[in-house]
Amino acid sequence: MTREEIIQKTNEALSKEFELPVEQLRPEASFQTDLGLDSLDAVDMVVVLEQKFGMTLRQKYDLRSMVTLNDLYNFIEKLANEAQK
Amino acid sequence: MATFEDTSVVITGLGAVSPYGNGIDPLWHGLLQNKNCIHRVTELEQLPMVKTKVAATVPETDFSFIPRRNRRSMSKMACYAYVAAQEALAQAGYKEAPENLGFFMGSTLNSISVWMNIVSSCNEGHLELVKTSDFLQIMNHSPLATTAQALGINGPSLGASDACATGLYNVALGYLAIKSGLVSQALCGGTEEYHPLFSACFDIMQAASFHANDCPEKASAPFDKNRSGLVVAEGCGLLFLESEQSARARGATILARILSVAANTETENMAYPSDVMIEKCMRRAVERANLSPHQIDLVNAHATGTIVGDIAESKAVEKMFGAAVKINSLKGHLGHTMGASGALELIACVKMLETGEIIPVKNLETVDERCGTAQYVTQAQQQPISVILKNSFAIGGNNCSLLMRRP
Repeated sequence: MTREEIIQKTNEALSKEFELPVEQLRPEASFQTDLGLDSLDAVDMVVVLEQKFGMTLRQKYDLRSMVTLNDLYNFIEKLANEAQK
Repeated sequence: MATFEDTSVVITGLGAVSPYGNGIDPLWHGLLQNKNCIHRVTELEQLPMVKTKVAATVPETDFSFIPRRNRRSMSKMACYAYVAAQEALAQAGYKEAPENLGFFMGSTLNSISVWMNIVSSCNEGHLELVKTSDFLQIMNHSPLATTAQALGINGPSLGASDACATGLYNVALGYLAIKSGLVSQALCGGTEEYHPLFSACFDIMQAASFHANDCPEKASAPFDKNRSGLVVAEGCGLLFLESEQSARARGATILARILSVAANTETENMAYPSDVMIEKCMRRAVERANLSPHQIDLVNAHATGTIVGDIAESKAVEKMFGAAVKINSLKGHLGHTMGASGALELIACVKMLETGEIIPVKNLETVDERCGTAQYVTQAQQQPISVILKNSFAIGGNNCSLLMRRP
């Protein structure tokens, strides 16, 4: 899976779940301050991303390390690469 | 500080979501115009063992106007509560909830549909599909908590859950909270959302209507000799209560005055109410208000259209009032909105006091002779009335009566 595909799928999932306009989903956007998502949303985000990507994220998902969307893209990309090995 | 006895409690705001739509106006005009809101339910068609095929549901509403941050934790019944709360606050004269507003609201069950989704995920081995927000929607006090969060209601919040008497019990709680000095204002009532399993369960208990499946408009017929049970419905009713002192100080319009509440519990049987306990409950309410039975103009009955419930209540009314009091029930129109019913029907009673329009019992064509000789309202009447006694009774034996007067 390419990074572009990861970004697109992530944005689709977040846009639908959290009713966010796609144009607001910039890599540097902060979950809390820019997107208005809180800790409850962070937990539910894992559920929708697991469904979208068809892989388990929750064991390796560290909420505190996710500040921006880019952090999330990097995290999923890393897991996807590991899964391919 | 005013004492318990000295504190008068008044109603200054009303909010409703009913099978007639969102708002007090659709509710009141639906009742006045004798409109039908009972319909066949597709899901019930697919359950051959279930005899009842009808229900009364709130017209489909897009609740996306509720901020997502709040809505994510709200089941349908919580959305109803949000809408009704906003309306009641607005009528009471508030754009935002006042400081230390008490909030007393409950339901019979929490959201069955959300519960079903969680159970399905679990049974299918996909518990990972369950979200935090799913759990937040099925907590028993979820509608109370989420509506309070969404509207900034920061006083004490408590939800009595007394099945079909929930709405009226919560009004009684609000009344007592104001009388006791805990709060000077409170939003009170009940909310409920429909699920076909609700109908199925009442059907299993042989308490659901089946005699008019092909003519849903006739399916709910309190006191009628051909009735066969209740029609499950949904909605939310909320009333804004406050001390008269508070209402006068801020120049609020007083819609009605609550004179007394009474409650007791039937201990002989979970599902069979007794006329003895119902009479005691009503009598206590009347005596607490220092009134005599002949001073009551109208009894707004719980009367759901079940065989045993209607008989017990009508016997109790007859024993206490003879044939001297008018009696009606609104469930012929609305069906049984369960936890919301006491509050929604109380709201309609406020409108009856205000306008003098007495709503007749829809579908009451021939009174069941076992329901005695009470003065049933079978035609719309325009006649000023001063005092209404409102009853709500629940499976489990939770009885509640409330006495209310024109301001």
